[in-house]
Amino acid sequence: MTLTRKIAETPQSLLLMPVFLSVLGLGILYSISLHQGTALAQNLFFKQSIILIPALVGFGSSFLVSRNFIHKYIYILYFLTLGILAVPFLGEKVAGTHRWIDLGLPVSVQPSEFAKIIIVIALARYLSDRNLQMRHFGSLVFPCFIVLAPSLIVLNQPDLGTAIILITPLIPMLFWVGARPFHLFLFIAPIFSILTAFHLVPFFIWAGFMAIIFYLSKPKLLTGIGLYFGNIFLGLLTPVAWNLLRPFQQKRVLTLLNPDLDPLGAGYQIIQSKMAIGSGGFLGKGWGQGTQTHLKFLPVQESDFIVSVMGEELGFIALLIMLTVFTFFIFRITRSAFESNDRFSGLVLIGFASIFLAHVFVNCAMTVGLIPVKGLPLPFISYGGSFLMASFMMAGVSMNLAVNRMG
Amino acid sequence: MLKADNQVPRSRYLAFNLLTFVLMAILLGRFFNLQILNYDTYRKRADSNRIRAVSLDAPRGLILDRNGVILVDNYPTYVLYCIPGEMESKEEQFSVIGQNIGLDKSILVSNYKKYYRTRFLPAKLAKDLSFDELSRIEENKLALPGVFYTQHPERIYTQKVRASHLVGYIKDLDNSAKVVADKQSDYEAGDLIGWVGLEKQYESSLRGEKGASFFQVDAFGREVGQIAEREDISPIPGRNLMTTIDITIQEALERELQGVRGVGIVSIPETGEIIACASSPDYLPELFRGSMSGIDWSHIVSDTNKPLLNRFANGLYPPGSTFKMLTTIALLNKQKINPSERIECTGSYEFGDRFFRCWKEEGHGFVNLEQAIEQSCNVYFYQTVQRISLKDLWMVWDRFGFGRKTGYDFPIESKGIIPDRAFMNKRYGRRGWARGNLLNMAVGQGEILVTPVQMAMYINHLATEGRAGKLHFVKGQGGISGSSPHYSNSIWEKISSHMGKVVYGLRGTGKSANPKIKGLKLAGKTGTSENPHGEPHAWFIGYGEKDGRKVSLVLLIENSGHGGEVAAPKARRIFAQYFNSESTQMAEKTP
Repeated sequence: MTLTRKIAETPQSLLLMPVFLSVLGLGILYSISLHQGTALAQNLFFKQSIILIPALVGFGSSFLVSRNFIHKYIYILYFLTLGILAVPFLGEKVAGTHRWIDLGLPVSVQPSEFAKIIIVIALARYLSDRNLQMRHFGSLVFPCFIVLAPSLIVLNQPDLGTAIILITPLIPMLFWVGARPFHLFLFIAPIFSILTAFHLVPFFIWAGFMAIIFYLSKPKLLTGIGLYFGNIFLGLLTPVAWNLLRPFQQKRVLTLLNPDLDPLGAGYQIIQSKMAIGSGGFLGKGWGQGTQTHLKFLPVQESDFIVSVMGEELGFIALLIMLTVFTFFIFRITRSAFESNDRFSGLVLIGFASIFLAHVFVNCAMTVGLIPVKGLPLPFISYGGSFLMASFMMAGVSMNLAVNRMG
Repeated sequence: MLKADNQVPRSRYLAFNLLTFVLMAILLGRFFNLQILNYDTYRKRADSNRIRAVSLDAPRGLILDRNGVILVDNYPTYVLYCIPGEMESKEEQFSVIGQNIGLDKSILVSNYKKYYRTRFLPAKLAKDLSFDELSRIEENKLALPGVFYTQHPERIYTQKVRASHLVGYIKDLDNSAKVVADKQSDYEAGDLIGWVGLEKQYESSLRGEKGASFFQVDAFGREVGQIAEREDISPIPGRNLMTTIDITIQEALERELQGVRGVGIVSIPETGEIIACASSPDYLPELFRGSMSGIDWSHIVSDTNKPLLNRFANGLYPPGSTFKMLTTIALLNKQKINPSERIECTGSYEFGDRFFRCWKEEGHGFVNLEQAIEQSCNVYFYQTVQRISLKDLWMVWDRFGFGRKTGYDFPIESKGIIPDRAFMNKRYGRRGWARGNLLNMAVGQGEILVTPVQMAMYINHLATEGRAGKLHFVKGQGGISGSSPHYSNSIWEKISSHMGKVVYGLRGTGKSANPKIKGLKLAGKTGTSENPHGEPHAWFIGYGEKDGRKVSLVLLIENSGHGGEVAAPKARRIFAQYFNSESTQMAEKTP
């Protein structure tokens, strides 16, 4: 297949939409750097523009590489990735975590961002290679290990946000290959059993909801009863186990769950972020005019809270456009997954779609106070080299696999 | 290899799209809620986030006398401030400042703590900086980031009169003050507040209204410039306080009280305007301007003459013979005496097993009512008072306003004591007191205690047949007095003619109060009140009338002897000052 034909047969919007979002991001970064008055080397706009070059190269190579090649070497890459993820633990902590690898270059690399790509592809190969009967619960166990191994390493860095993102594609991909929804529900159920266990009312609501699901799914009687009461028992045990922990141990767990625990207390970051977005109104305060941004009330405005800057300066209309573009971008990947001729490609695409969706939702929901602060960047828009590059590579792979071979 | 077919049911594809759509819709809904529905709320909150209002002080109103002469003025001083968040090393900078303005570092540190507000609002460090000190600070400017000075109006007092108890003083508020902690009030640490006297009474109008200047601040509270869209609010200067005081009379009164402990109040009976009012000894009002040193303070506090005691408001004295008019009114009102009835005074009077003395040891001989008042004979009243009850006396005292506040426009006032049955029973037990106590009260002794302000009210009622106006210091604050004694004309006439005898009679005890001005008619009464603190207090109360203008005077000199000998001559000079200056003033007005 010639290059021109490949380009012709691929949905080009998978490149155009990311480029549009990146330009939007650069505009915001330019506004932020307007008032920072630092040297060129420190200028966020300048740095992000430079990073865009390797990111587009990454996009190109991901697009060009043959899918057979990807399929063939993905397991090797997977184990390599596991090793590399552990490397930051050998180095110094950066910003209190072992997230970055210092290559001795002006930039550091965050391997966990690239792990997102590898894990999805490795999982896709495992699930497509075996003509598995995904309707059996037992066949779900091994895919879990593929996802959990790198996630646990990342969780220890500690980086809960990324760890969650790494696990996220598992459920949609299993769903995609035909796993029973009830089985997937069983995956999630223990998490809810633990989370709701600390308050009586949510726990009862959860127990009732679970009972309805179990009744409708009609598992074997003994298995059903066992699993149901297993969950209830887990919930009842959680507070007891929690209280057995010493206060410093509890604090350690809480810090692990929420490393960004607000130093100023009372949700300072969220309050400032909501104030920035809300005060932007429909049209925003004007590009470069955001008071919350430029007077530095907004925390980490160039990455985690870049949406707040956009909301403040460019208003609701910009957020509407941004969310629309993201939605169509994800829709387009999902459609390619559905139309794909082979199961492997379909799975990779649905995995990437899930990762993009999770990133957009968690990032935005955090800035408007819907969920606790989890330091996750916004794809293509937030400042940050590794993730920008990984995002473009995912877009490249998506565009690559979206081409359906004739015949 | 890539052989496995992609067999995904359409329903699963649509389910994934639905999930995407729902999550995006949640986000969009949330953005809509914040940016469109709650735009106003967040806009305001974001503004208050970044806008800091710094208050601008209003110049305090001046205090003037009745003719517009300035009693209390403002003058510019230089105050040194620091902005804590902009200082580099507080310790070092405080030492540099201390060396340059000759102030101990510990004082600077304690001022800093007293006036600290927030990291980015100025805290007062020192005041009254001289030009020399300012230039030294200016020279060291580079070593003193975050330190600056501004001009600030301070109180300055006229040299002619002190009037310190009257005008009072203002105080620098620091962080320990209640009004600073009170979120409702707009007083801040470093503000001035009227603390005593008229400064306190009229604080709200003297103070004016603060203005505000708006600055944009960043998340760290640093000022990053003015705000274009919001104009400064200019302060509204405090209103000048036009008092009823006449500086020339005040000056004369203070001169008479110099070197003695005592009180004087000059007022206009009909209206209640207070023309002069002094409590002696007093203090230099400048002492309270904030930078008072420890030595001055202990000196004032330990002074046995109690210069801080406001004697006209809180001084409690037995009224002595000045109360005899009240006993007379009670007797005449009950028709228990015939004014021409003569009673023999032998210098003392035996009642029960006690001897009650007249001030004149050899006695007054036979005296009628007029002579009893003129010569201030005690025995006359010892005998006649037995014809009435304590209640009869108490009613008269009460009608003249004794035992309660006069309600004048001043922050402090004592009630004094006028004993009634219940009071006596409580103090001495039901059987512990008897008519003997009544004899003392008839001549203004015993348990009775009055304030000089109440005495001014009393003499004003006597001068106006019970129609005196409410006492007041500030123009327009008069009105109907809280007390209004009503008695028959014949009683008032007798009282005033007998009081005239005190001044004009051959044997009148108040003869030396007469300045002998043509057309001036005086009436008065002396008092010599026994007290446990030594020599008797000398009283003179009286009023004069010339060309339809009346003025009254209350004068008390503590522990100084006979009212007629000590107080009356001082009264003469004050009357002379008043009526002479009055005539010159009138002459000026009608050339």
